[in-house]
Amino acid sequence: MTDQTMMPERLLEVSHLTKAYPGVRALTDVSFVAHAGEVHGLVGENGAGKSTLLKIISGAVRHDAGAVVICGTHLAGGDPHEASAAGSATIYQELTIVPDLSAVSNVFLGHLPQRFGIVDARRARAAFADAADTVGLTARAGARAGGLSTAAQQLLEIMRALVLGKRVVIMDEPTASLGPEDSQKLHAVIRSLRDTGHAVVYVSHDLDAVLEVCDTVTVLREGSVIETRPAAEWQKSSLISRMLGGVTLDTVAPGRPSAPAGPALLQVSGLRAPGVHLEHLELRAGEIVGLAGLVGSGRTRLLRALAGAERVDSGSITVGGSARRWPTTPRRALSLGIALAPEDRKHQGLLLGRPAAWNVALGRFAVAAAHRAVRAVRLARWAEPASTRVGFSSSRLGALAGELSGGNQQKLVLARWLSRPTICLLLDEPTRGIDIGAKAQIFETTREIVGEGRAVVWSSSDLEEVVRHSDRILVVAAGRVVAELPGGSTVHDVLEISYAATGDALAEPSGAVSNASAGSGRASTDSKGPV
Amino acid sequence: MTSASVTTPGRRGSGLTVGGFLRSYGIVVALVILVGAITVAQPGFLAYGNLMNILSQWAPVGIMGIGMTYVVITGGFDLSVAAIYSLCAVVAAALGRSEPPLLAFAVALLVGLVVGIANGFVVTGLRVNPFIATLGMSLIISGVTLVLTGNIAFVVNFEPFTVLGTGRMLGIPFSGMLLIVLMVVAGLILAYTPYGQAIYAVGGNTEASRLAGIRTSFTTASSYALSGLCAAIAGIITASQLSSAQPSTNQNLVFDVLTVVIVGGTSLTGGRGAIWRTAVGVAILATLQNGFNLLDIDAYYQNIIKGLIIIAALATVDWRRMLRRPGSPRTAPPSPTPAPSSTSDTLTHR
Repeated sequence: MTDQTMMPERLLEVSHLTKAYPGVRALTDVSFVAHAGEVHGLVGENGAGKSTLLKIISGAVRHDAGAVVICGTHLAGGDPHEASAAGSATIYQELTIVPDLSAVSNVFLGHLPQRFGIVDARRARAAFADAADTVGLTARAGARAGGLSTAAQQLLEIMRALVLGKRVVIMDEPTASLGPEDSQKLHAVIRSLRDTGHAVVYVSHDLDAVLEVCDTVTVLREGSVIETRPAAEWQKSSLISRMLGGVTLDTVAPGRPSAPAGPALLQVSGLRAPGVHLEHLELRAGEIVGLAGLVGSGRTRLLRALAGAERVDSGSITVGGSARRWPTTPRRALSLGIALAPEDRKHQGLLLGRPAAWNVALGRFAVAAAHRAVRAVRLARWAEPASTRVGFSSSRLGALAGELSGGNQQKLVLARWLSRPTICLLLDEPTRGIDIGAKAQIFETTREIVGEGRAVVWSSSDLEEVVRHSDRILVVAAGRVVAELPGGSTVHDVLEISYAATGDALAEPSGAVSNASAGSGRASTDSKGPV
Repeated sequence: MTSASVTTPGRRGSGLTVGGFLRSYGIVVALVILVGAITVAQPGFLAYGNLMNILSQWAPVGIMGIGMTYVVITGGFDLSVAAIYSLCAVVAAALGRSEPPLLAFAVALLVGLVVGIANGFVVTGLRVNPFIATLGMSLIISGVTLVLTGNIAFVVNFEPFTVLGTGRMLGIPFSGMLLIVLMVVAGLILAYTPYGQAIYAVGGNTEASRLAGIRTSFTTASSYALSGLCAAIAGIITASQLSSAQPSTNQNLVFDVLTVVIVGGTSLTGGRGAIWRTAVGVAILATLQNGFNLLDIDAYYQNIIKGLIIIAALATVDWRRMLRRPGSPRTAPPSPTPAPSSTSDTLTHR
């Protein structure tokens, strides 16, 4: 495939892989090679076959035809232990850290060094220290893993691969839950893995990151390899056009603010909650307000507090000019027209074992079924207009939510809120882990729904996205809105303010909210954690 | 593209495959085989009179199974049903000695409802784990029952009091009719009303339901109230059948009620299950028990076999889960939602 003159060891070789699920051809004749000392990027839209490919390489799923060779061992397939024994380690987006065990126990999970049948703690700690040194982890070996930042937990997983001598490291969306700073650190670790003769397979939607860290990039589309080239020969635009096939770049370009903001819909002032401090926020019809901030800045808590999902100490709210009682439950917030699409779609947004239409109707079954028997057919009919608007194919309304791609799951949550009267949508990380096509669709829909007199507040870890698709940007640090920037500001502006503000907030003891553990995961993990 | 589009092509495990059918309806197949086997061994099993006796005998457990099904689908557990059952039987019998039966029954129902609401409050308001909450309530209720009665049985010598428990029409016992009517009504409510869907939603993913505007606490608490009410109805039926009531609590009853729910295939992790499943569970347990008696099998062996069946039922559920996610890479993150399933999990949860 590659025309390198000096041929390093082929650590991972995938040839002519084919995999079909009933009714779907997931992979067709996929081949690529990852050499020792190479970071190999895999990119493609959701549904392009990346997940299936990863599952086959890691042994979770058996292939129909073709071969997977890891460090010279042919995999029979379908057995994760076999793939692991051959010398590969897969680090999934959802980490497999046991929160209540120590850092060192997590690194050696199931493989603690033993002497005479007893755990050899000294040897374990020595190996831990070595590996920690390699990846730059500063956490103590005895620290509780669950108390570490996401970035540190991810490093533990990498160390797991290191201490077990794995030479092929596969990473699925490794930067999805990291802030820019931690992503940079992770990339440094990946480069050091490469320099020590590992092969790293790097799967990501974040094309900038892929281009930055990878040596070679393979583009997948519709289950086939479209092209493999050295990273230096790719640009973001060429990657995108190969990923999307016929679609041109214009369709994924940002929509500019269409109309000037309309009348005030919602005013919030004096909002205080654990880890949240909001002096004043006014939302006008027709505007998209972006929340920008580092990981751990409290965006999620702020949005959840606005949606009635968190306990608040104080706060007042004015809807359409009249003062209302602060909504203490999501149900009350919904009755004011405020809806939240949570960050963690799978655990907080959807019931994965239920059909798509049912999920759209969730919480409104009576209306959806027109006050008659709640039946699948009625729900599907009711969900159809909203689904169509968000670009969710109505032919899939009967599919289980858990079988849909991340992008489609996000569209379902949007469709739910579009199908009921809302004035303000709060979208927490709506674009996390979804492909470019779905992102474009979501931005388009967002622009459309504010055009109908609603307001949207949204957040993303991808600062570039926030500045491109917002009419106003609120910079959040340590739970506070520290600055407001106009649309068209740059990532640089945001970062400058964020870093300055985070530093200040951490310096002043009373502002020590950044390490408050939120009810909902990553965004509230302390970015300054021990890394 | 409206109504016809609901059926999904390419959904694994659904539709016409044998595996999919067995995963959804295997329990019915098991019942048919069981009935067949027992009929071959003892043709008298299918006699009308015998079947009607079974119906009357299992009406209390079946009715408690209805409430328990609701509770289990919300992801909870109700260990207090036996205690509520005894308390309400005693209340009905104690009042039935002097008051009109309907009044006695109404008061007993009210008592069951109130205790059920208390359960719901402890679970949702005080956020006590349902297992512990209802175990504690069970002890409290049993204690209160014994204190109030001084552990004396109540005997009712009044003919109308026994009509509900022993009366028949065309040979069909009233208690059995009540069981069937309640099952149909509760099954339809669960499958086709917004409230029923909310029960599934809360059990399947509480946080998602809450964010979608469902009153999760109310919904959960209501299932315990319903369970209390069902236990009261069961207690009344038994008091009426025996024209007497014992204040002592038979904890084995909780086991029977849970068994019928679980054997039917309602998931203990919440979010999945159905009333028809509980009906099948009752039928299986009743058939077994009656078959044992007809075949003269020792009661001790009966317990052993019951125990094996409940374990087998749960093991099957786990085995199914393994089929769904071969080699699941995830080990650590404790997920609040049950793993996505590929069984044919339609809206009505057939």
